[in-house]
Amino acid sequence: MSEFLEFLRQLITDPFGLLDALPVRQWITDAVNWIVGNFRDFFRTYVSPPVRGVMGFIQTILAAIPPGLFLIGIFLIGWWAATWRVGLFSLIAFALVGFMGVWDALVVTLSLVATAVLFCMLIGLPLGILCSRSDRFANAMRPVLDIMQTTPPFVYLVPAVMLFSIGNVPGLIATIIFAMPPMIRLTNLGIRQVRQEYIEAAVAFGSTPRQILWKVQFPLALPTIMAGLNQTIMLALSMVVIAAIIGAGGLGLEVYAGLERLNIGQAFVGGIGIVLLAMVLDRITQGLGEKAPGKGK
Amino acid sequence: MIRAEGVTKIFGSAPSTALPLMEAGKGKSEIQAETGQVVGVHGVSFTLEPGEVFVIMGLSGSGKSTLIRCINRLFEPTAGHIFFQHPDEGELDITRLSDERLRLLRKYHMSMVFQHFALFPHRSVLDNVAYGLEVQGKPREERQRHAQEMLEMVGLGDWGQAYPSELSGGMQQRVGLARALATDARVLLMDEPFSALDPLIKVNMQQELKRIQARLGRTILFITHDLDEAMHIGDHIAIMEEGQVVQLGTPEDILVNPRTEYVARFVEHADPTGVITAGTIALPFDSQAFTTQSESDGLRFVAANDLTELHYGLDDQGRLHEARLGEQRLEIRSLEEVLESEARGARRADLLMHCPRETVLRQVLRGRTRTALPTLVTNAEGRVTGLIDEPQLIRGILEKRGPSPDSEPQPAAEEASS
Repeated sequence: MSEFLEFLRQLITDPFGLLDALPVRQWITDAVNWIVGNFRDFFRTYVSPPVRGVMGFIQTILAAIPPGLFLIGIFLIGWWAATWRVGLFSLIAFALVGFMGVWDALVVTLSLVATAVLFCMLIGLPLGILCSRSDRFANAMRPVLDIMQTTPPFVYLVPAVMLFSIGNVPGLIATIIFAMPPMIRLTNLGIRQVRQEYIEAAVAFGSTPRQILWKVQFPLALPTIMAGLNQTIMLALSMVVIAAIIGAGGLGLEVYAGLERLNIGQAFVGGIGIVLLAMVLDRITQGLGEKAPGKGK
Repeated sequence: MIRAEGVTKIFGSAPSTALPLMEAGKGKSEIQAETGQVVGVHGVSFTLEPGEVFVIMGLSGSGKSTLIRCINRLFEPTAGHIFFQHPDEGELDITRLSDERLRLLRKYHMSMVFQHFALFPHRSVLDNVAYGLEVQGKPREERQRHAQEMLEMVGLGDWGQAYPSELSGGMQQRVGLARALATDARVLLMDEPFSALDPLIKVNMQQELKRIQARLGRTILFITHDLDEAMHIGDHIAIMEEGQVVQLGTPEDILVNPRTEYVARFVEHADPTGVITAGTIALPFDSQAFTTQSESDGLRFVAANDLTELHYGLDDQGRLHEARLGEQRLEIRSLEEVLESEARGARRADLLMHCPRETVLRQVLRGRTRTALPTLVTNAEGRVTGLIDEPQLIRGILEKRGPSPDSEPQPAAEEASS
């Protein structure tokens, strides 16, 4: 009897002491070790090269453009995507970064972001479309997306390094994981939001599901998808400092290195550069979203 | 072209639970209370003849839009059959078609116009019209050319590069019509196409549709809640109430012989002048209201009992050869001639008109402004079958029917109203 009372007492005061601790730490450590042990070669052979290759390609091209030409180009892109004001703003912002002496870092960061966003689109768009077509798939995706967005990136930095070693690639992988969810969510949302009357009209003219998707749903979802792209770019930019911790270069490295050496000026220059880049990319993608053909819905 | 048999559509989680109740003759609200299922369409049958405009008319909630969506299976009918006369494959039951064959049907044989136009906002007007051709897989140049032709037919030849949002409602629905015509589908489903338009534009569009229909001769199933519209464009009208067809007939038939209280209330305020025909309101010539006055030169002279000075000289086939008012010989002309002649002077007292039985009341009234004398009504062979004077015109407008049996004997009434 007293044993039972003792059990009750402990159930209230210290229920977690009743069992040995759940060995989650050990499980994860074991799992990561197992993955690293068995799949490191796989990841280094099949995942790293394409990511590194795309990044290298983009960076080579961007770095090859003379800065003056680059400034004119960014002005024209801003003008084309939005208004001449956005073009002018972009030009001034980029020029400012250049005058602060971190032009090369800007080009590296831009390449990092472009690469990450490219992969986010390549993977996120098809997944978003799948989500829009199957409720079951969308429900299965939701917790995965929550985990991708809310797990602190620092947690998976080390396993990323273990799998891909130090450098741009693990930073890019972490950025892709963190920045992809809005792409998937808003692609799904955009397609589901297309008004039923347009779908009905397409069906009434004998369209196949594929024709409905590509001729009606996708174009009409484009403004929403562009909003997803915009968010993905912003999230990718927010990762550049964290990615620098595991060896990625660019403006993030300026910040990280500045902080390490207590060189506040250097850190701020890097930070301002990131902010300006973010503003330019934001204005340009928003302009693109408003130009999307489905806007009239 | 299309024959619907007992088409039924029930919305809800278990549609089949409602079927026995429907067979037992329970109403829509009872069924909903007992099973939670909503009856959209209840055992509707009709036949759509090739080249006709068949109007389904009813108030909102009567199931008319559900019914039209059952025809091309945008909604899956719960029960019943819809037979379609395929030009190559004979009669097909649309309700049994596989997805692939259903798509072929929608692509080539049946197109649709929507109440709120449903034009694709991201496509130019021309690309909207070309949509069906694009789905058919026609080469770009061919579909653009064909779409341009269709745009020109609806009077928007210069608007191909505009976007739907730049067009007014009436113009948008012209595009919707062009899009539906472009696929060359024989059957056109029109779901309240003009209901969202301003009254004036609506009348324009009705005339436009009649003009295009006269040229292309498509088979049209047309939904509306507007009786005047139904009367104006329909060859046949089915009136729906609570998912069922309560009356099916020609516009005149429905106006003159409303079968239920519901239909009667509907037609009460309809404008009869464009629907009721001369044959319906005319006083039959063979009745006791007329007597033979004299015979000469092989002609028999007949006069109405209330206007004995006016003599109509008929040959032995009953055709009109001569007319006299007292001693004065009258000019005889067809209503059509009178209306076409430019002279609009004073109302004449020496002109007698005749018109075919199918002439609508409005035309007879127009002719009547040119002459003070009655109008004679003839059948296809030219035989005089009846007479329309002021009492007949007034009764036609006010009561929407022909001579009443109690005031005038009418042995030929059946012939007159058929």
